[in-house]
Amino acid sequence: MVKTQLLVVGGGPAGLAAADTAASLGIQVLLVDEGRSLGGQLVKQTHKFFGSGEHHAGVRGIDIPQLLLKEGQDKITFKLNTTVIGCYQDRVLTALTGEDEYFKISPQAAIFATGASEKFLAFPGNDLPGVYGAGAVQTLMNQYGVLPGNRVLMVGAGNIGIIVSYQLLQAGVQVAAVVEAAPQIGGYLVHASKLARAGVPILTRHTILAARGKEAVESAVIARLDDNWQVVPGSQQELEVDVVCLAVGLSPVVDLLRQAGCRTRYVPELGGDVPVRDSLLRTSQEWIYVAGDVAGVEEASAAMVEGRLAGAAAAKQLGADVAAADEIIARSQASLKALRGGPVGEKIRSGIAKLEGGIANA
Amino acid sequence: MTKMSADVVIVGGGIIGCATAYYLAKQGVTDVVVVERDFLASGSTGRCGAGVRQQWGLKMNILLAKESIKAFETLNEELDTGLDIEFKQQGYLMLAYTEKMVEQYKKNVALQQSLDVPARLISPAEAREIVPYLNTDGLLAATFCPTDGHINPFTTTNSYAIAARRLGVRIMTGTEVTGIEVKDGRVVAVETSAGKIHTNAVLNASGGYSREVAAMAGVDLPTYPERHQILVTEPVAPIQGPMVISLHHGFYCQQTPHGSFIMGFGDPNELKEHVVSSTWHFMEEMAAKVLPVLPPLAQLRVVRQWAGLYNMSPDAQPILGEAPACRGFYNAVGFSGHGFMLGPVTGMLMAELISGKEPHIDISPLSLERFEKGELLREPSVV
Repeated sequence: MVKTQLLVVGGGPAGLAAADTAASLGIQVLLVDEGRSLGGQLVKQTHKFFGSGEHHAGVRGIDIPQLLLKEGQDKITFKLNTTVIGCYQDRVLTALTGEDEYFKISPQAAIFATGASEKFLAFPGNDLPGVYGAGAVQTLMNQYGVLPGNRVLMVGAGNIGIIVSYQLLQAGVQVAAVVEAAPQIGGYLVHASKLARAGVPILTRHTILAARGKEAVESAVIARLDDNWQVVPGSQQELEVDVVCLAVGLSPVVDLLRQAGCRTRYVPELGGDVPVRDSLLRTSQEWIYVAGDVAGVEEASAAMVEGRLAGAAAAKQLGADVAAADEIIARSQASLKALRGGPVGEKIRSGIAKLEGGIANA
Repeated sequence: MTKMSADVVIVGGGIIGCATAYYLAKQGVTDVVVVERDFLASGSTGRCGAGVRQQWGLKMNILLAKESIKAFETLNEELDTGLDIEFKQQGYLMLAYTEKMVEQYKKNVALQQSLDVPARLISPAEAREIVPYLNTDGLLAATFCPTDGHINPFTTTNSYAIAARRLGVRIMTGTEVTGIEVKDGRVVAVETSAGKIHTNAVLNASGGYSREVAAMAGVDLPTYPERHQILVTEPVAPIQGPMVISLHHGFYCQQTPHGSFIMGFGDPNELKEHVVSSTWHFMEEMAAKVLPVLPPLAQLRVVRQWAGLYNMSPDAQPILGEAPACRGFYNAVGFSGHGFMLGPVTGMLMAELISGKEPHIDISPLSLERFEKGELLREPSVV
């Protein structure tokens, strides 16, 4: 049984920030990640971040992980290639390194920064080789240097759909079209404009009806939708593509939290079932905190701040210097408020409003 | 809220509740409502190991199980729902590691054969012919009955429900029973989260919650819940025909038609509460128990573990019949881990009883009164 003060599950932006913050407050941390390198989904993000300097604006996502850990951070033990496979109510977690090394972890507190998984769509042919999630395409290209195919239909014009489409173009892959069921583009217009300038049609109020092909995707059927989201008869067209890439949103990965007995609630604004938590990101299990997409799908900038907030709150619970922890907590909460301000953050704000205080209400 | 009434209200949408509803409707009693708090098979039925065996040591159990298996054999055709109950009828192999157990198994087999159950005592070498990778170290003998097997509890329960609905039964899922109204020693209504249902007959088929439901009618049941844990592995090609049971180690282990292995063991220290969480101890102890006997399973990855409730009675035998303290209140509870396999026969018997017929098997030894009279039944062969 491995004992630690704080266990952080997940080494993406939220987990790294959480581990670094708790360690800088004197807490001994074990950080476990299933990947072979740290950074989580940041390693897929070759574009520069927006926002203020505090949130690493102007830095490419792939370069952020190293900025998240302060130098001389000897309070953190990293365990990579390791998957947490169980989280039990007696505060014991089971983990597997590679295929063979099974061990148990007994932490005093834990921060779950397990991120989100991609949503999928139901349509005929969606199990053909060549149908990918956008995250899978990013992993193939940005991490392994493998192209998914030659000509892509992108489904979804949110930030991920738009950015991955641009990355595909940069890699020399044709993008036949981007279809988006909603009446407007969801992603940042600056990225969408780049696509438009490159001649990629972005078809709003359009959806995919089927992928066709014998052994793998050979074409995709798309169609226009009316204001009631119904297919407009006669609007079907078949595009010759060998890749269908789905960028239709993310769902928080809450399985371990559920097993641990944390209450969850369905909040569509945050991506689906999310853990009920308080303003310090503590769940209904008093030893478990959450940070990043698992707490509600947002962006890497918010994930990093949530990591700092949860890291400081957990450290305070574990006996760290109260004034120092409170200072980070206050700064992080203010920073989150700023990030979620304005009309863009409206959805997130209303989603979180359904959760906070939910522990007392539920 | 509209006023509701029914000839019979069944509390619980597991195998017992749905089978009884079907057999009632089949006999012409179609004004039946099944009230289920969650979804069909969401309690002990959907959480069980789903083995069905006739290899028991008590005549009553053998007769009940034999009749159930006969029903399972033709259930797809009878219910005709398009669903497959996935009856994998490739036997139960029961292992004996002590002289005492061999003696007991000899007696059991003699009794089973006298009731026309095709079980037989076999040598360790014969056991290996049935399960080639069985480690026979320390094994003295085994019994095998080829007509025992394994069934899908979800499709079975849903088949009964679909067939019952087709005959006019109403099934209310997501509806909780909150009270039972009794007047002059007789049931008159069931209160639910969806309103009151007037009725003169209630069947308590609420599994792990049988005691709480009975208490609503003022009936004191000596039943209690006991957590039992299970795990399932990734699916692999079919390599194991029968369910393998070792009462010595306390485990059972079955490969489903889908290819995954399902296994569990009885733990005397398990919680006797309404708790269905899982423990890591179970995972580790399960592996320690099963791997010495079935070594190749060490190659398999576990994909999931879960738990369910046995509804225990003091003698680990079901309680069937009308409660003496409350007319019109029937119990089919306390199955102590064997409720799923006894589902069809229990459904038939309770339907007969509730509709005023003489049950075709004498179930008076399973009445609630046996505990007062001190006439307990003892089944020697349980996990």
